[in-house]
Amino acid sequence: MNIAVCLCQVPDSASVIGFVDGALDRSRINEVMNPYDEYALEEAVCLKERIAGSFVTVFSVAPPSAKEMLRKALALGADRAVLVNTITEPSDPYLIALFLRKALIACYGEVMPELVLCGKRSTDFQHAEVPSMLGELLGMASVSGVTSLDVSGDNLHLEREIEGGTEEITLHFPAVLSAEKGLNQPRKTTVRSVMEARKKPIDLLTVTVEETPFVFMSSIEPYERKKVCHFIESEKELVELFAKEGFFL
Amino acid sequence: MNKYLVFLEQREGALKKSSINIWNRVQEIAASEPGSTVTGLIAGPANILENASLFAGEGVVYHATGEDLRVYHQQYYASLLVELMQENYSALFFADSSLSRDLAPRLSVDLQASLLTGELHTDKNGIPDGCVRPLYSGQAKALFAPQRHVRIYNLSPLRGRVAGFSCESHIQVLPIRLPQTGIDLLLSEVRRIVFRENSLDIAEARIIVSGGRGMGGREGFNMLEELAALLGGAVGASRFAVDEGWRSHREQVGQTGKTVAPELYIACGLSGAPQHLAGIVSAGIVVAVNSDPHAPIFQVADYGFVGDVHLVLPKLIDAVKEFLKKN
Repeated sequence: MNIAVCLCQVPDSASVIGFVDGALDRSRINEVMNPYDEYALEEAVCLKERIAGSFVTVFSVAPPSAKEMLRKALALGADRAVLVNTITEPSDPYLIALFLRKALIACYGEVMPELVLCGKRSTDFQHAEVPSMLGELLGMASVSGVTSLDVSGDNLHLEREIEGGTEEITLHFPAVLSAEKGLNQPRKTTVRSVMEARKKPIDLLTVTVEETPFVFMSSIEPYERKKVCHFIESEKELVELFAKEGFFL
Repeated sequence: MNKYLVFLEQREGALKKSSINIWNRVQEIAASEPGSTVTGLIAGPANILENASLFAGEGVVYHATGEDLRVYHQQYYASLLVELMQENYSALFFADSSLSRDLAPRLSVDLQASLLTGELHTDKNGIPDGCVRPLYSGQAKALFAPQRHVRIYNLSPLRGRVAGFSCESHIQVLPIRLPQTGIDLLLSEVRRIVFRENSLDIAEARIIVSGGRGMGGREGFNMLEELAALLGGAVGASRFAVDEGWRSHREQVGQTGKTVAPELYIACGLSGAPQHLAGIVSAGIVVAVNSDPHAPIFQVADYGFVGDVHLVLPKLIDAVKEFLKKN
């Protein structure tokens, strides 16, 4: 079984999102693999370990600096990495999905992978749109926010969290799935796996997309939300406040 | 002049209040634009009369009552909406949910429509022109503008309760059928939905009592359960509490959890990391209880209580009980 995993880079939790003269200052940002993509990759590697003859290829639409992240993906168990070269990293989910579709076609030709795994969303832009868009572009079923995945023969049994419950979904290959927190516990790299990853290929691929973006980020600014906090001294005062604001039905 | 379509989501035959909120918001917009219309769509059997009084304004609500549509089904729902959107609607509105998150991106590609997620942004005439959303763990916010004529808005929960004007609203419900073409092969199927008992979802709760590291463990949350039950609210949790296994991920508020918009958010033993605050930007009144007077949560709180949650909460619970007994 061929499994494709789509990865992107996001600032790590220690990064400082600063602004200089009203523009985003990227100098104090250190990029790492998107946490949700780690769940997607881990699931792909687990499937590979269970199903003989499986092959995991990771894709990233990113500048050359993403090679380090792809190396890590190889150390975590992927077999091959493809860096989809772009001059600037597109921020529009539709364009990213188009780039990924072209890259998948370039790598797999007529026989598309049985499974395409993505993270549910990136932690920087948080669109959470690329996986379903890619599913539509590839003509495959897509399920977003998967928390449990089980393969039996040609069928997939999935669970996803919805408001107030869990949906149990059955589908067959091929499919695009996006991983939610809780799907698995991603492994760590070992010295040995890092050494082995050096022998695995990172291919550079250049594709072009003619389409124009669906959305345009017209402004970005720091999030200011300071309030003046009124300090309360007793529990009773708090209850009176609840009553005054009409919180008791 | 715009034609707006609002998707009214039903779950187990009951219309979601969050969708009716969006309907009413879109009615407000249409009211300021002469000639604009608002149309609704309900997919699946639903009891409309139950919530009829909550609908404001006027317009047609199409109701596809087919059993096939009772539970969410990506292909059926997409085909129904794509067919209806052929009637030249300028914008389609969703209330943000697990369903809209799954469906809207596919529709965006199929309809070549700009998909905008977050809080609705309007121009000086009150016409929608984009969405504002927190980025980078809530450290920045950005405005996204549509680049296509047709737009799909997936809107964060609107705070406050739905208020319709039953005497002034004129809603006409018309049946509509699921188009029979275009679905030759069933790609996926929802076999069943397992609902949790007594579960008020934090995304829909009016009041949320949330806890973090300071709760000290799983048992600490029992106090929050009790307080939430007394107030008719739901329990939320910080990432730390979820990662420690004290609470389920579905209760996580923030960057890697849910965005919530309750009228009252009570943050207990929770320091207020930017990632957490990103999830409560739409909350109404924020009350923080924390032993550290310098905790960042106090900078975004309307009311603060400096003290150990293990001492404050039992007293607060007693005070609430006493109040409820008297009134």
